[in-house]
Amino acid sequence: MNKRKPWINWILFLLTAVIVLLVAIIATSIIERKTEAEFAYKPTVKISEFESRNEVWGKNFPRQYQSYIQTADTTYRSKYNGNAMIDMLVVDPRLVVLWAGYGFSKDYNQGRGHYYAIDDINNTLRTGAPFDPTDGPMPATCWTCKSPDVPRLMNEIGIKEFYSGQWAGKGDQMHNYIGCADCHDPETMSLRITRPALIEAFERQGKNIEHVSHQEMRTLVCAQCHVEYYFDKNIVEGAQYLTFPWDNGLTVEDMEKYYDNLGFSDWTHSLSRAPMLKAQHPGYEVHMTGVHADRGVSCADCHMPYRSEGGQKFTDHKIQSPLNNIHNSCQVCHREEYSDLIGDVIERQDKIIENRDKLEELLVRAHIEAKKAWDLGASESQMSEILQDIRHAQWRWDYAAASHGGSFHSPVEISRVIGTGITAVQEGRIKLVRVLGELGYRDEVPYPDITTKEKAQKYIGMDAKKLNNEKKEFLKKVIPQWKQQAQEREAAYKTVSN
Amino acid sequence: MSKLHFLIPSENWQKPVSILLGILFGLIIYILIISNSMSYISDKPDTCINCHIMKPQLATWQHSSHRETAVCNDCHVPHDNIFNKYFFKAKDGLRHATIFTLRNEPQVIFIKEDGKAVVQDNCVRCHLRENDIVNTKIDLDDWKLNNGKLCWECHNEVPHGSVNSLSSVSFILEEESKRIPDWIEKYLEMQ
Repeated sequence: MNKRKPWINWILFLLTAVIVLLVAIIATSIIERKTEAEFAYKPTVKISEFESRNEVWGKNFPRQYQSYIQTADTTYRSKYNGNAMIDMLVVDPRLVVLWAGYGFSKDYNQGRGHYYAIDDINNTLRTGAPFDPTDGPMPATCWTCKSPDVPRLMNEIGIKEFYSGQWAGKGDQMHNYIGCADCHDPETMSLRITRPALIEAFERQGKNIEHVSHQEMRTLVCAQCHVEYYFDKNIVEGAQYLTFPWDNGLTVEDMEKYYDNLGFSDWTHSLSRAPMLKAQHPGYEVHMTGVHADRGVSCADCHMPYRSEGGQKFTDHKIQSPLNNIHNSCQVCHREEYSDLIGDVIERQDKIIENRDKLEELLVRAHIEAKKAWDLGASESQMSEILQDIRHAQWRWDYAAASHGGSFHSPVEISRVIGTGITAVQEGRIKLVRVLGELGYRDEVPYPDITTKEKAQKYIGMDAKKLNNEKKEFLKKVIPQWKQQAQEREAAYKTVSN
Repeated sequence: MSKLHFLIPSENWQKPVSILLGILFGLIIYILIISNSMSYISDKPDTCINCHIMKPQLATWQHSSHRETAVCNDCHVPHDNIFNKYFFKAKDGLRHATIFTLRNEPQVIFIKEDGKAVVQDNCVRCHLRENDIVNTKIDLDDWKLNNGKLCWECHNEVPHGSVNSLSSVSFILEEESKRIPDWIEKYLEMQ
């Protein structure tokens, strides 16, 4: 057609080519920006199902991770607690007598941050000095609440297999302190339960954890560990199965009835021969009886409140006493003066501890008075009811004392529990007076000099020096081996980038 | 007719031009597909995050009071009549697409005047009863004459928060997952 002006054809051709080129560029640009979307707003690494190393989670969630490792802080002391490590046997040597014959009389420290979970269980005299995987006083079950390596190992070998064997047998597998994998799903960061004991306890009560709300989960992930528990030796042969004694309910009476019906005791007191119960940190159970739980406040609302850094709001993972974070924990809801809020807390603690201290003193007296009766030749039938009273009284004392914060979480209930404890121990002591009288003893049994930890431990016949030396050897020889084995194992883990 | 003849290539040129036109046609279909062009007719929020820089707005909306009751277009597109709706969508969409393609997006995205007018009208459209009672029913023209405040001058967190930035949210993760992991269900024989 354009024979006379062939250059027009060239122009048309080039024009079409340029249009095609531009269209291709737009297509490329669209593809490029779509690819960007795969990486923008996506986390850096892919976290595997059983990733137990907290640093890896921290690559995707630096704010949560950086605030979490602040649980290494031990500088805060409130009037009675805080995040510092406190040797409670030094602060209150009566505890040595109350726990005579049991691990806690060897060593009991007020716990510090999650960061120290592995270190502290390695260091405590209660785990002894096992130089052999089958050695030592404590079972493997003790590891359950200490590490995200626990669900990893449980998945590998099975739940009852995890609960079998001695504590030292799994020391090389437990390397990472309590962390992200214990509470979070690695893909969606949803809260989830990783310890079977809580699930089983819910099932026995006819409740389904899948149906609880997100707000309840913010309490239940803590309730995996901050609860009363015991080891059931009868479920599986050879295993010490972690069980929560909640079948009758969560109150101190309910759990007492549960244990009494089973005829269960944690140890026999070395002075009074009473069949004793140890209460371990019933923080969740006590919290649920208090007004804050009633109003729907969860553990995380106070202990992990929201924080803002440069426009990003996130959950503060420095789990600590809310007294060290009043403006974010309390003042969000309670618009009071800082000193008023602290004063309110201290007032309740002071008043409850007044009675708690009294109960402790009475329990010490009851134990030594019972010992006196045995020494003078009392019979089983004379003593059995008295020993039950001592058992029940100390159970109530321990339930209150170990609830850590019970005087804040539920002051009325805790006061009541201590009150019933005082009643029980005094009833026992009234019976003891009669028994001692029948045996010819009418004086007051002298209160021993247990003004220091050393004196108290000597009084109950404990060789603290030997235990400490054995522990030092253990820490020098065995722990480095465990660390070495763990490092070798973790070197083989792969981390996948997103 | 001769004008059209001018455009038709001669014998020698027909093959290469046909091929080029074929490529052009294919590329256009390709672009229509990869750009999710059909999604722009709907009102779904996922359409707006075809451009990933809108993800902070999506995320803040998902954590806001309006999540269950209003999607993006309920506020950002006029609802006075259907022609206006699609005209505005087309105009605004083309503007967005151009900026996004040229990589010209600002680090802090603020709404433009046309958009402000639309959003203000939509606030009033749904919250008519409240606006009658408190007499805050204004439009953008009223505001320009200083005859009142736009709704979000007081309600400034609704729904996208008060921090406008491409990095104001970190990750967009999916919704809740199971509370009990599979491995526990297996061992406790709960399945």
